[in-house]
Amino acid sequence: MKKLLAAALGILTAIGGFVDIGDLVTNAVVGSRFGMSLAWVVVLGVVGIVLFASMSGRVAAVSGRATFEIIRERLGPRAAGANLLASFAINLLTLTAEVGGIALALHLASSVEPRLWIPVAALAVWLVLWRVKFQVMENVAGLMGLLLVGFAIALFQLGPDWGELLRQAVPPSPPGTEHPASYWYYAVALFGAAMTPYEVFFFSSGAVEERWTAKDLGTNRLNVLLGFPLGGLLSLAIAACAAVVLLPAGIEVSSLSQIVLPVAQAGGVLLLAVVVLGIVAATFGAALETALSSGYTLAQYLGWSWGKFRRPARAARFHLTMIVALLLAAGILMTSVDPVAVTEMSVVFSAVALPLTYVPILVVANDPGYMGEHVNGRVVNALGTVYLVIVVVAAVAAIPLMIATGAGS
Amino acid sequence: MRAFAGRADHQGVTQQTGRRRLTAAGLALVVTLVALLAGTGCVASRQEPGQATAAVADALAEAGSAGETARIAVGLLDEGRVTGPVADTVLLDQLRVLDDAESALTTLVPPDAATAARRSTGLDAVGDVSDAVVAARSWVAVRSGGDLAGADGVPSSSDDLLVELATALDATDAALAEAGGP
Repeated sequence: MKKLLAAALGILTAIGGFVDIGDLVTNAVVGSRFGMSLAWVVVLGVVGIVLFASMSGRVAAVSGRATFEIIRERLGPRAAGANLLASFAINLLTLTAEVGGIALALHLASSVEPRLWIPVAALAVWLVLWRVKFQVMENVAGLMGLLLVGFAIALFQLGPDWGELLRQAVPPSPPGTEHPASYWYYAVALFGAAMTPYEVFFFSSGAVEERWTAKDLGTNRLNVLLGFPLGGLLSLAIAACAAVVLLPAGIEVSSLSQIVLPVAQAGGVLLLAVVVLGIVAATFGAALETALSSGYTLAQYLGWSWGKFRRPARAARFHLTMIVALLLAAGILMTSVDPVAVTEMSVVFSAVALPLTYVPILVVANDPGYMGEHVNGRVVNALGTVYLVIVVVAAVAAIPLMIATGAGS
Repeated sequence: MRAFAGRADHQGVTQQTGRRRLTAAGLALVVTLVALLAGTGCVASRQEPGQATAAVADALAEAGSAGETARIAVGLLDEGRVTGPVADTVLLDQLRVLDDAESALTTLVPPDAATAARRSTGLDAVGDVSDAVVAARSWVAVRSGGDLAGADGVPSSSDDLLVELATALDATDAALAEAGGP
């Protein structure tokens, strides 16, 4: 019974923790401009993140070490250094977007200027990282993030023409009013949002924090196979809400406040309050994860003592890295840069950095020296190879598409 | 001699490594600049007649989107489906969008008289939507308990406000159609 409850908690946390500011903004923008015609990218992204997160979770459970530690050992300091540089930069950009997301959500609830919320948000994230236990932090943020299910409830209450939504999704093609290059630009952005690198670093390091062993592989599989796809459904619900209410009105999403209008239309103030709370929790949870990932990647590469299972005094440089990352994120946001623009940039640059994250994981997951009998099977390897091709294509296409479309405008 | 040759080899390797580093640094700089240009060049002035008209259409589409968003927000607040702070935030965000649209039109250099006329019509239309959204914020402030008695431009009811928004949106649609938009 206890095991069942733990598994259920893991799945719920994975669902609630799946959606972050990148998913929220990108799905709503896409829904308002392209309807459901990019739903296939969400499916593609979810399968990819399931594949690689379960791989990195397995590596951590079997070897007892986080992915980045092994990447450095297996690929050498130079290749791992390039990986670290790109991952850390993307992570910082994502952390900036998440802290900005918290400030925007609080602005929405209070009408108080977001710039006043930024230091509060950064301080709150740091306090939780400093004081709260890993499991408590992960479970509370994940479960609160589940409130985003309000988008799915809103979709049903809006009573959309389901056939029309399906027609938009299948066969996938850009709407006549949009340029194909913009369609593909957003396809890459959506893919980058679903497969953000920090998710994998957090997942594998989290497995070490929770002291997973080979016995926990079943839990790992269950969390990933159920939690992430259900989280993907939330992403689709966000896009569908925008497609039902905003697209017919000719509204292009450019701010977080527009994303909640379909929810208010469907469920009034109560559902709106639930969803706003869900957005605060989802962005807060993602800010915790990205801040931790900053510390994890750098500490694991440099061989520092790391982890929340250690007291801060025993992992001082790990905690210092997170503090510096948070200060940088808050500093960037205090320059009045638009957090939504930062989010859009972060998902596109995530796509650029995808191969640097996922190639080493595939290499390590195939190394019997680390994995023993738990190396990748044929099916996983075949899928992994297909995904590497997709990831490389997305990475190569991201910047040219960004230039050609003026960042999707 | 061998030591000298070795040093020369070493220097060659060092130079090669240095050049490689320089090339890599140059490449990184170019990629960063290109990315920055792509990010910031969304609202650029356009000189060719076709491009200038497209820029007018883009700005009007943004203004139309902002006006429609404001209309939904006002309607929802009137029905009690959103709170005052949420409605105010929605409207404030739309004023920023309208500011961008207006900026795109004012910085545009029209290449011919026809484009200049379209830009002028577009500026009027964007201005109308901005006025309506500003009025909507005042209305929201009144509904939320603000004391704006006697202030100019505060609509007496949501109906008046929705009519003002609809009129402004009609003007935007007409200007957009003139600029070749959908």
